[in-house]
Amino acid sequence: MKLMHGVLRFARYAAKRGAVLFVVVVLAVYATILIANMGGYVDEMVKSQVMASVSQSVAQNPQYKMLPYEEKMKIINSLYEAELRRLGLDQSFYVRSFIYLGSALTMDLGRAQYMTSDSGSTIVRVIITERLPASILLFTSVNLMLFFIALFGGLALSHRYGSKMDKVVVSLSPLSSIPGWFYGIFLILIFAAWLRILPYGGMVDAPPPKDAFAYALSVLKHMALPAMSWLIAYSVIQTYVKRTFFLMFSSEDYVEMAKAKGLPPKLVERRYILRPTLPPIVTDLALTLISSWMGAIVTERVFNWPGIGSLFYEAIGFLDSPVIVGIVVIYAYLLAVTVLILDLVYMIVDPRIRMKG
Amino acid sequence: MKRACGIVLVLAFVAALLLPTVNVASAQQAPKGPWVDEVVFLVEEEEAKVYNRLIAGDIHAYFTDLSDPTVIDLVKKSPQLWYATAYGLFFELTINPVGPEFPKTGKMNPFSSAKVREALNWLVDRDYIANEICGGLAVPRYFALTPAFPDYARVIDVARSLEVKYSYNFEKAKEVITAEMLEMGAELRGGKWYYKGEPVELRFLIRVEDQRKAIGDYIASQLEKLGFTVNRMYKTGREASPIWIGGDPANGEWHLYTAGWITTLIARDEGDNFEFYYTPRGYPVPLWQAYKPSPDFDDVCYRLAYRLYSSVEEREQLLAKALQLSMEDSVRVWLVNQKVPYVAAKGLQLTSDLAAGFSGSRLWPYTIRFEGRTGGQVKIAMSNMLVDPWNPVAGTNWVYDTTIIQATCDQPAVPNPFNGLYLPNRVEKATVYVKSGLPVGKTLDWVDLVFVDEPIAVPSDAWYGWNATTRQITNPPAGLKANVKVVVEYDDQLFNVKYHDGTKMSLADVVFNFILDFDRGDPASPLYDESHAVDLEAFKTTFGGFRIVKESPLTIEFYTNATYLDAEWIAFDAITSFYPWGGLNYGAMPWHMIAIGMLAEMDGKLAFSSDKAAKLNIDWLSYIAGPSLDILKEELDKAIANGFIPYQEVLGKYLTKDEALAKYNALKAWFEKHGHFWVGNGPFYLDRVDATANIITLKAFREYPDVADKWLIFSEPKFPAIALSGPSDMIAGEAAYFEARVTYRGSPYPADEIEFVKYIVLDQEGNALLKGEATPVSDGLYTIVVPTSELVPGTYRLEAIALSKLVCVPQGGEAYLKVTSVKSFIDSATQKMKAEMDARLSGIEASMAEQQKTLQDLRSSVSTLTTLSYASVAVAIVALIVAAASMLAGRKKA
Repeated sequence: MKLMHGVLRFARYAAKRGAVLFVVVVLAVYATILIANMGGYVDEMVKSQVMASVSQSVAQNPQYKMLPYEEKMKIINSLYEAELRRLGLDQSFYVRSFIYLGSALTMDLGRAQYMTSDSGSTIVRVIITERLPASILLFTSVNLMLFFIALFGGLALSHRYGSKMDKVVVSLSPLSSIPGWFYGIFLILIFAAWLRILPYGGMVDAPPPKDAFAYALSVLKHMALPAMSWLIAYSVIQTYVKRTFFLMFSSEDYVEMAKAKGLPPKLVERRYILRPTLPPIVTDLALTLISSWMGAIVTERVFNWPGIGSLFYEAIGFLDSPVIVGIVVIYAYLLAVTVLILDLVYMIVDPRIRMKG
Repeated sequence: MKRACGIVLVLAFVAALLLPTVNVASAQQAPKGPWVDEVVFLVEEEEAKVYNRLIAGDIHAYFTDLSDPTVIDLVKKSPQLWYATAYGLFFELTINPVGPEFPKTGKMNPFSSAKVREALNWLVDRDYIANEICGGLAVPRYFALTPAFPDYARVIDVARSLEVKYSYNFEKAKEVITAEMLEMGAELRGGKWYYKGEPVELRFLIRVEDQRKAIGDYIASQLEKLGFTVNRMYKTGREASPIWIGGDPANGEWHLYTAGWITTLIARDEGDNFEFYYTPRGYPVPLWQAYKPSPDFDDVCYRLAYRLYSSVEEREQLLAKALQLSMEDSVRVWLVNQKVPYVAAKGLQLTSDLAAGFSGSRLWPYTIRFEGRTGGQVKIAMSNMLVDPWNPVAGTNWVYDTTIIQATCDQPAVPNPFNGLYLPNRVEKATVYVKSGLPVGKTLDWVDLVFVDEPIAVPSDAWYGWNATTRQITNPPAGLKANVKVVVEYDDQLFNVKYHDGTKMSLADVVFNFILDFDRGDPASPLYDESHAVDLEAFKTTFGGFRIVKESPLTIEFYTNATYLDAEWIAFDAITSFYPWGGLNYGAMPWHMIAIGMLAEMDGKLAFSSDKAAKLNIDWLSYIAGPSLDILKEELDKAIANGFIPYQEVLGKYLTKDEALAKYNALKAWFEKHGHFWVGNGPFYLDRVDATANIITLKAFREYPDVADKWLIFSEPKFPAIALSGPSDMIAGEAAYFEARVTYRGSPYPADEIEFVKYIVLDQEGNALLKGEATPVSDGLYTIVVPTSELVPGTYRLEAIALSKLVCVPQGGEAYLKVTSVKSFIDSATQKMKAEMDARLSGIEASMAEQQKTLQDLRSSVSTLTTLSYASVAVAIVALIVAAASMLAGRKKA
């Protein structure tokens, strides 16, 4: 009975928490739709551009040159209307905004207005999934490297507080004030332009190696500079943050008590420091991995890396709402689900967190 | 061991002797297909990286024009790089002509006055924009005619005269605008213009993406110097378009806009540009509806656009008039024509199109090579590629894609990259019959032009269309006539031309193409496509019929009412309209490749056009990558299983089931080897596509019928250089003889390659007083006789303009001449003679004085010598006396 009651409370809590997160997602997605379309003003821009391009293409087409004026206008208007229909602009923006919202929430991301995937598909899902592996490969790898460097580096430094290495890390932590892509530019100058040992950018050699292993090696070679740029920019600061974090936990009373009891340092570290800090570390890892899904716009542009970041940039350039909304909604869902799962897991594993529902 | 070493050494020696021979042979022998073995395309957007990669040899050419001034400067200075320029991009100042007050705001619009608009031509220094803002990579532009295209050359004398007349003159601009502003009720207080008590504010939309930002700032500063308050509204194209093109100009939201236009091919007839840019008929948008050209100008625009003239001469007169009237109207002030640079590494040669650079050049795949050798791999970067799906029916038309596609598909005729005239590739000859009175001419020998008195009857058995319901080809209505008939004889080896999958081109390709074109425009067809129907209807308004006269060599008749100034262009329409599918942007592709796409569209799985794909919510068909490939593979298997022959009712007569199966199987084998369905017949075939990495690899197709040097003559444009020599002073009334030397790289330019050498004599205000044509004397040498009797005494500029038949950019040279009257001449000559005599006399005097001085010196020397001789004689006498006295004294002693 008690168990039943507990399960019910848990389900109620989960449902309530899920509902709140869902509302947040809905609001975020609709806000994205409004922003991406500038509240409908993008329609006016697009219409003007469609008219300009259609009129000019008719004017420049030798086939139409001798047509009577009325015929030309008929063709221009017909092409214009057809293009507006193709873009869905024959409906008002507010009607379309709810259609976009509905499609987004049901994960039917629809078709792009202007963009096509690298392989030529207009399906937003295909457009995104074609770029996703590149982003995950680069940024998840880098973020994992950063995470573990920071975790173990921070832990090690927390034991050697005030040591030379600690001072070096503290001194170098302002390196992160410059973004990774900025280091990337210098790395390109040094390793690609000057030393000529690493590529300027891209994902693979041109032409791509036919052998799968050689292809993988080539991709690794192309990952080297972007990865290095992020490691330079962010590894020290993250180590510094973790070191401070662990220092704070190391001075908790129960840790002092354990040390006073004469417990071995490894045991103190594992049981009294790492275990209680696990929830925030796991949260940090989960959110880092989720955020790597989005790629990094500028880094991808600098290194010509075909990931989600550069896709997002292109979509904004084209004002292609379905693609922008598609990227945002997937991220929003991933984030919401992650947060929900973390909430629920903490509630189960950490007795300090109590349900209120 | 020693012996082995000896043998190795001998072999090495022999190899060393042979190797240079082999290299020389490979350098000299043009292979079949392209010069190089492989071309790899990749994406690079950053121009700075492009420069570095070119220098490092990581890439060999960049197929996107450069726009970063710093990079352009580096390229110009680099000894490792070269660049070609293209004239396809031009800037102008678009003006809102509504007024004198905007109805919505009641504010004044100074540009409602044509005189103010005209005066803007004097206000802007186009040379400054071209040389300083655009770093020398632009030329001033004054008219709707492109200074590098044929029409400009045709009226070059009028154009030059107007260019001088409207050249930069700030004071004149100020004078005219001040007078006009006062006339319109404005007042100038403290150096600022006011209207009804408020400052006259000019809302200036300035584009920010390129040099137009600096141009806009410069023009804004010039306007501020005149006393206007300028509101600089910096916008991107997308932000500006709803205001200037979408909005109503009567709302007064803007006055000026820095517009840019682009053309990707050399337009040989720009007559309709005036209609497009200056009349309400140009664009169906509010701004254009506000244009009110004078009735005279409007009439000229209309006649030029709709070819309402009966001769080339009449057309040139209309063009000349349009130039003048367009300057007076000036709803747009043309600024500069950019010479956008395309860069490549030295050692790589390829053709660049005068309008569209490397990427727009149809001949780049045929001419690209490493200097002095065959083979090798070329890496080409672009700012983008794989923009839209590749399919030849209604696929991508982005230049980033079509430039690659064109390397894989052969065209039966290709445009000359330097003058836009079509050249035969798979055609033996064409005869163009045109109704008398239509202004058509011809330049090249492969086309015969015949004028006929009456419209030409279209034969009743000609093909006129396709009925998707009865599935039969339709014939023309009885009594149908056309203004033009073209008879085309294709190359007798046409049907031996191989596609990349090993199949051969056949008549079925032609027939299939004809039917599919009409079928897609018939609502009864499952392939009906609304977007295509619009194009087809337009085509049908001029199309008269198509007839296959002979199958080997393929000879066709094509009837039409569409005419161009050049018979070569009319012939091109006839040649390509039903040539195996690919159209203008692509080139030949086989029916069996299109057929599987057809099946996919009929099954509702894919669509050829983006329009239909969007409508049916299915994917736009791609033959090279993506989800389309699996569907096409299924359709290919289905076609093989069913022995599918498209339009069997007709195509069945040209094709057996076995032949169809053989072709499908070849396509299947191709797909299995290369992973895509892209089959053309160009000098390169598509080897691999890495869509995610954005890399495309093309490989040489060595079964291509032509050898690589076929188009080598078009590796670079043969621009003529012209230099004038002659007297600087002359008497009015006397003919003055000048020599014009036309050369190319220092050698005389062959006379038969020169269209004309014209001259104009301009006064200091830029009025063209005399003009005419130079007389050819020999290759590269022309004489110009200037009849000075028509000139009053003064200083004049003589400009000579040479136009090559090979390159449509006119080249000029100039000299100055001073004309004097007889009296002035005699006075001048007398004075000159007097001065010369005076000079001579003073010279003689000086010389005499010098001689006198020398004589004096001599005299003095002689006198000294005389004195010395006297002294010597005296000494001698004294010595003799002393000697004699001594002797006498001696004798006495003895």
